[in-house]
Amino acid sequence: MAQPIHAPNQENVGADDADSNVNRLREQLQPLKEDPGSVMEAIYAAQEIFGFVTPEAIEVIAEELGYPEAHVYGVVTFYTMFYTDDQPPYILRVCRDLSCHLAGAEAVAGAIEKKLNIHPGETSEDGLFKLELVSCLGQCEKQPAMLVNLDSRAEMTAGKAVDLINELKTGTE
Amino acid sequence: MPEIRVVNRNIGKKDSHTLKVFRAEGGYEQAKRALKSMDPEELIGLMEEAGLKGRGGAFFPTGFKWKLVRGDPNTPRYVVANGDESEPGTFCNRYILEEDPHNFIEGMILAAYAVEAHTGYIYIRGEYGLAIERVQEALKVCYEEGVLGENALGTGFKVDLILRRGAGAYICGEETALFNSLEGKRGNPRFKPPFPTNSGVWRKPTVINNIETYCNIAPILENGAEWFQQLGDGEDNAGTKVYCLSGHINKPGLYELPLGVTARELIFEYGEGIPGGKALKGFKPGGASAGVLTAEELDAKMDASIGQYNTILGTGGCIVMDETVSIVDSAYRDALFFEEESCGFCIPCREGTPNLVQILERILHGQGTMADLDLLEDIGESMAGSFCGLGQFAYRPVVGALRKYREEFEAYVRGEIPASIVGSQ
Repeated sequence: MAQPIHAPNQENVGADDADSNVNRLREQLQPLKEDPGSVMEAIYAAQEIFGFVTPEAIEVIAEELGYPEAHVYGVVTFYTMFYTDDQPPYILRVCRDLSCHLAGAEAVAGAIEKKLNIHPGETSEDGLFKLELVSCLGQCEKQPAMLVNLDSRAEMTAGKAVDLINELKTGTE
Repeated sequence: MPEIRVVNRNIGKKDSHTLKVFRAEGGYEQAKRALKSMDPEELIGLMEEAGLKGRGGAFFPTGFKWKLVRGDPNTPRYVVANGDESEPGTFCNRYILEEDPHNFIEGMILAAYAVEAHTGYIYIRGEYGLAIERVQEALKVCYEEGVLGENALGTGFKVDLILRRGAGAYICGEETALFNSLEGKRGNPRFKPPFPTNSGVWRKPTVINNIETYCNIAPILENGAEWFQQLGDGEDNAGTKVYCLSGHINKPGLYELPLGVTARELIFEYGEGIPGGKALKGFKPGGASAGVLTAEELDAKMDASIGQYNTILGTGGCIVMDETVSIVDSAYRDALFFEEESCGFCIPCREGTPNLVQILERILHGQGTMADLDLLEDIGESMAGSFCGLGQFAYRPVVGALRKYREEFEAYVRGEIPASIVGSQ
């Protein structure tokens, strides 16, 4: 079972929790000060704590690692796996490149769209899933391949995609 | 002809990712021996003699690369492992990272020793979750067991390896973009020259090799240069290549074979041909960047000589297409990939990639004109002047497909092929 990237219901986080999140981030950044250039590791740490890279997290990273905020923001927005808005617990990344396309990736993506009533890039109404059509995941022998967050799923079909969503839903109830 | 396991020698063995199993198979013995008793220049000479060339796709002679780095008096020097494997159709590095991480680490230690580098970076694409976990685990145990650190393998040589995760950017497989990324910057490429051998990580002399390249170093030490030369099919082709097969193929997967095997052998002998007894329409020998080859070109050798067919071997990620495939649609898929992955740094690539997508969409929708076909060529010509390899290659699968399957493009334009519904992107 894939682990959610963060607990759902982030909006219910109280002020105390928000402070403790900032403190946690500061703590995790301390060893990175000894590792020049570790900005992306810092951003990963922030994303794991907050669920996405918040403006506050960018401030903290800039301050602790000694970069302008614009530099950190520039790095965050360059890479597709860093997010500047809240993400659902499950990001479904379906490969859209040639091998997976030949093996029927569109049917997989289509089944997910229909099941969750969303378009690629959107989050489902229950706030649990987002569908992304992504570049080659390097899992081509498992064509068509997809990731649930970073967990790879092989030889997907429309039916397996629907089962997967049901399984993940049950897991979060 | 059986597969030859050099790079993939431990793949498939139980717990092959652990230090215990790696050591039981003779792992780290070559590094230990070389660091204790071999002159670094002798080690470089051995790589040159063996004729090892970079497996990332450029086939630059590894020994010569190391020699250039060692010859630069500027210090500190660095070694880097490029594990940003993101070329569509390519997954050979992933197996090493997941199943045999100590294998490339041993190669990195040897490279570090050869050029007197004491710090190395391992860059792995962010989507490779299990690979990252396994390499993290391997590094941890390497420090606990004294494989890495102040006194690597008890030889007195100091070498530290640092893991960096990418975060979703194909461009970071380009070596200078990778340096920027691991220095904590946006992954835009740098101007070359200066080349990484003089100005790599932190603008210092840097050896950057592909994961697969590193996996060949210790076996060459163990078995000698002559053995390695004979693994390939001739003087220019020393060693094996781990080819990847995907698409319309009965047995998708990895095949470690003599460098220079023909596409026919790879697809029909090892991959066991095309499902459902369908005919072959074409294949891409090295991922999205490689131009398509036709069924008549099956006797092409899967090595650098494949350039004569207006394509590249690249990563050796071979994608097979059966007779039902629309070549225009396949070119469109490649165009979509490069549009998404263009870093936006230079204009020919940033503007050219979406232009190719728009024109191919038009053609697929039955709204293309003959002038559009010429336009594809023109845009390709402009993109050839892109800043880095991404843009310089991004148009080639489209223009290559047009040149080899022009009739099919024209049939779309004339309305003889029903307009495709271009799927959701």
